[in-house]
Amino acid sequence: MLIKIAFRNILRQRRRSLLTGLSISGGYFLFALTLSLIEGSYNNMIRIFTESHVGHVQIHLDDYLTRPKIYKSISDKDEIETILSADNRIIGFAPRIYSPALSFSEEDTAMVQLIGVDAKKETTVSRLREKIVTGSFFSSQGGENDRTQAMVGKGLAIKLGLDINDEFIVIGQGADGSIANDVFVVSAIIGKKSSGERMNVYLPLQALQEFLSMELSVHEYSMLLEDVADSRSVAKDLQKKLPELVVSPWQEVEEMFYKSMEADKQGNWVFLVLLMIIVFIGVLNTVLMSVLERTREFGVLRAIGYRSGTLVNLIFMETVLLSMMSLILGVIIALPSIMWFSDTGFMMPEPMDMGGIEFQHFKGELTAQILFLPMGIILLFAALISLFPAIRAARLDPADALGKF
Amino acid sequence: MKVIETSNLSKHFGLGETRVSAVKNVSFEIEEGEFTAIIGPSGSGKTTLLHLIGGLDSPDEGDITLSGEKIAHMKGNQLSDFRRDHIGFIFQAYNLIPVLSAAENIEYIMMLQGIKKPERRRKVEEILETVGLTGLGDRRPAMLSGGQQQRVAVARAMVSKPDIILADEPTANLDSKTGMKLLEVMKELNREFKLTFVFSTHDEKIMNMATRLIHLRDGSIERDEQK
Ligand SMILES: Nc1ncnc2c1ncn2[C@@H]1O[C@H](COP(=O)(O)OP(=O)(O)OP(=O)(O)O)[C@@H](O)[C@H]1O
Ligand SMILES: [Mg+2]
Repeated sequence: MLIKIAFRNILRQRRRSLLTGLSISGGYFLFALTLSLIEGSYNNMIRIFTESHVGHVQIHLDDYLTRPKIYKSISDKDEIETILSADNRIIGFAPRIYSPALSFSEEDTAMVQLIGVDAKKETTVSRLREKIVTGSFFSSQGGENDRTQAMVGKGLAIKLGLDINDEFIVIGQGADGSIANDVFVVSAIIGKKSSGERMNVYLPLQALQEFLSMELSVHEYSMLLEDVADSRSVAKDLQKKLPELVVSPWQEVEEMFYKSMEADKQGNWVFLVLLMIIVFIGVLNTVLMSVLERTREFGVLRAIGYRSGTLVNLIFMETVLLSMMSLILGVIIALPSIMWFSDTGFMMPEPMDMGGIEFQHFKGELTAQILFLPMGIILLFAALISLFPAIRAARLDPADALGKF
Repeated sequence: MKVIETSNLSKHFGLGETRVSAVKNVSFEIEEGEFTAIIGPSGSGKTTLLHLIGGLDSPDEGDITLSGEKIAHMKGNQLSDFRRDHIGFIFQAYNLIPVLSAAENIEYIMMLQGIKKPERRRKVEEILETVGLTGLGDRRPAMLSGGQQQRVAVARAMVSKPDIILADEPTANLDSKTGMKLLEVMKELNREFKLTFVFSTHDEKIMNMATRLIHLRDGSIERDEQK
């Protein structure tokens, strides 16, 4: 009966209820859609970022991540690879070696980062192959004159004036402290002038191992997971199985990126909070009006024996009922849009640069959280908002209330 | 049996120079089955007195005993429940819950009392007939005339089987013919069911139907007249 009365009271001021209801539905729609796009674009960013090179989880020896030293290398590769292959959450993994070095050509010198990659495994983890602008991915075994092939970043290619099949010299320091030097031949040019890998030199894993005299050991294992959201839990599980190594999810590997992205994400909530405030002011206004204009009616209700708590319930119920109906409408309009955004999305005319990562395909995300979180927040606050006028009405002295028309 | 007993009841409003004594030292008793009118000029304290004996307002001084229970110091839910079970109210206007039909308005108070649905339905039909509104149960208050609305209010006031029905100028918003008819209905209920009524009025014709007249002036009883 209380629900019946509450429902009829909502219908009583049809226009006002409709406006409030629509503002709740609209607020929900914008809230959920914004949330979907925020999640979608950040997830997209994370995907692009992690799949570029970092991967989802990495394995190193000791503090290699913060203090990379050539000798901090992993030698028991078989054990790791057996464990990684057995975990079906892991799609692919690849070993890597890093070392800074000096490079020379006839034209110039440059500091470079040498990266040794396993030609086959690397393609299952990163998009290195897709980043090739000219040339080919460690194509045939051995280049011209039996020189080892190297893929160089665009920046380096420009600085040293290198083109495909050009030779250049690299001088570095081996693991044993010796000076290492060799001549390599350019097989591919990678990325753009401005991209992060512009001064990188990619070499076949074995070639770099030999160059650095580090035998068969590697510095890093990077892996790609079925679901990036599992990064932390997979890292944790692997850590247990590999106690002598350090396993880190991408959030730790790229802590700076992760933190600035999280901060950026939080900034978007300002908009959502403002949106909610606008909606809630509307709701508060409606509840207040409907309570104030019914003062006398409440007096009558109190006179015939309505408890003040029942009155609070009634007003509370009216708001919650209106909010719930509006939210159902909100879901009905929001769901198709969110579904479209998460399935299809749209291509932006110009690629957008977010934190150094370019992306063009704008997509949403559809999860239970995106649908229910805004619902919960709206319902909770609408309920809280109605309590204030409700308690006010219940506190009214019945005799005073009856004196008002 | 005494239904109401008040002793030295006083109620003041305001402070200092603007202080008004709306009810001053009022003592009287009302027996079961009486049909009492409280009369007096505007501002004499009729409404205030009815609110006090109905437990809608609390006195500054004095005591009220209703059906053997002192209500002056009851509070909160205890007082709400007491009103629900022992007192019926009829006001000048806007008595009914506008979103409920006439029948639902009557039924609702029984629901608050926890009476089962079949009995509620039966009683509603019965009582609508008693007040002469058979067939109009489905109408919302806005679709009823002023006189019909007041009859629904009477029906609602009596359906909870109260010890007393208090009515503050129940006919003030009605033309005198309709007002008389409403009073006849009330009088009939008084005779047939021994229902105790206390109502206030300005109207000479209406007050003549009462069996007892309490004259108020400036908050005090000027004259108590049994007929
Ligand atoms: N809530 C209040 N605050 C201040 N003064 C009040 C209040 N209620 C009543 N009064 C004063 O108390 C006195 C009695 O008022 P009351 O309403 O009881 O008179 P009444 O006999 O019912 O008058 P009427 O015939 O006009 O309805 C009046 O002087 C009125 O101004
Ligand atoms: Mg009055």
